[in-house]
Amino acid sequence: MNEDLKKTLLNPIFKGNPITVLVLGICSSLAVTVQLKGALVMALSVIIVTGLSSLVVSLLRNSIPNRVRIIVQLVVVAMMVILVDQVLKAYAYAIDKQLSVYIGLIITNCIVMGRIEAFALGNKPIPSLLDGLANGAGYGMILVIVAFFRELLGSGTLLGFRVLPESYVPNNLVILPPMALILLGCIVWVQRAVQKDLQEK
Amino acid sequence: MNTNSNVYTIVYTTIIVVVAAAILAIAAMALKPKQDANIKAETISQMLAAAGFSSKEDLAKLGNDQVLKMYSDNVKTAFLIDAKGDKIGELETEAGNIELQDNLKQENKNIAAGNPQLPVYVFTKDGSEINVIPIYGAGLWGPIWGYIAFNASCTEIVGAYFDHESETPGLGAKIKDEAWFREQFKGQTVNFSKPDDSFNIVKGGAPKDDKSAVDAITGATMTCNGLDAALDTWFKAYMPFLQKKAGAEGVDEDCCGGDCCGGDCEGGHQHEHNHNHQEG
Repeated sequence: MNEDLKKTLLNPIFKGNPITVLVLGICSSLAVTVQLKGALVMALSVIIVTGLSSLVVSLLRNSIPNRVRIIVQLVVVAMMVILVDQVLKAYAYAIDKQLSVYIGLIITNCIVMGRIEAFALGNKPIPSLLDGLANGAGYGMILVIVAFFRELLGSGTLLGFRVLPESYVPNNLVILPPMALILLGCIVWVQRAVQKDLQEK
Repeated sequence: MNTNSNVYTIVYTTIIVVVAAAILAIAAMALKPKQDANIKAETISQMLAAAGFSSKEDLAKLGNDQVLKMYSDNVKTAFLIDAKGDKIGELETEAGNIELQDNLKQENKNIAAGNPQLPVYVFTKDGSEINVIPIYGAGLWGPIWGYIAFNASCTEIVGAYFDHESETPGLGAKIKDEAWFREQFKGQTVNFSKPDDSFNIVKGGAPKDDKSAVDAITGATMTCNGLDAALDTWFKAYMPFLQKKAGAEGVDEDCCGGDCCGGDCEGGHQHEHNHNHQEG
């Protein structure tokens, strides 16, 4: 059991990472990774949404009518997303403005619905919560790695603090979305070079 | 229990939806005051940025309270004007009780209907007055708005700040993100002689000698056209007020000698304008 939980927690972060292995949630990972701060808030938001949605759906799993299960799941996910958005609007307004539509678009993030369908509907609440949190964390980790390089090379700062000397000329290409895709490709490359069993024949 | 029966399905979904709605309604009510305070501080910091008191980035680092205090410390008066440019009401400027006319969407409709209540925020900076007015219009995807700061006689723009709800990042969003775009407005004027087309955002570059035009943004044609229309509409609505201000400073003489009055007559403001002129 303990071994299972450990696998539930670690698999989505490395071997079954939603972004680099399942290739889900690419859209937002390109859009919100210009600044590290935005990426951190986005990562945290997704972790909360995936975790709590999986928990709630798992609690309801035996009572949900099979025919309308997607609708019920959507109601739960949408409620969580709106709650997160409302809290951000109240307590982190500047970041909410920066993330703009992407907080709302967590609803359409395939990771959330994917984990509910694949895991939470068939498992007990605690493992489901952990699975949701871990998948959010796997997503968030990639987001933070990409944002780290984009803010460092694109603005010469990290979390708004200047790290590279003033003489560094910011690379504007890194600010643009295509560079996020290239960075993402590099991460996939590194991961598959290390974990050789992920390589397709 | 048969969870697949129709009755069960309907009752179940109803309960889920009602519970979710209740949770969201409570959350929205509880968070509303805090959110409104954020929006107010955001609006005020856009005005302060337009008037040149600080950059928007620096203002974002201050807390809401600091921004409100900065507003109260620097604002001289704030009032509402009607379509004729006459003052019809005061806006409170005391910190803790600041009143704004920030429902620009409604005012945009009122301008079209001919009965607007337009705000003017008068700041004092380095001993001289700065008049800040809002503009509002439609971009490509959603509303765009901004604040334009004029000198004491409203004959020269001294600063501008624009924002948008959902313009394309990297293209239309540049009206907010690119400092060069709003910097261009400094030193420009509103063309009083053409009330229907008093300011232009020109694709391919504004003529150097045109003091009422700025360069458009490449790849953001629709957003720039929307901003151009917004500026024209709102400048026209403020025109009686701006002219009165300009007249009071003695600039009216040159302007109203010929063309300007002709243009104004076409606009149907002859009576008001003459009236204003006498006052000035």
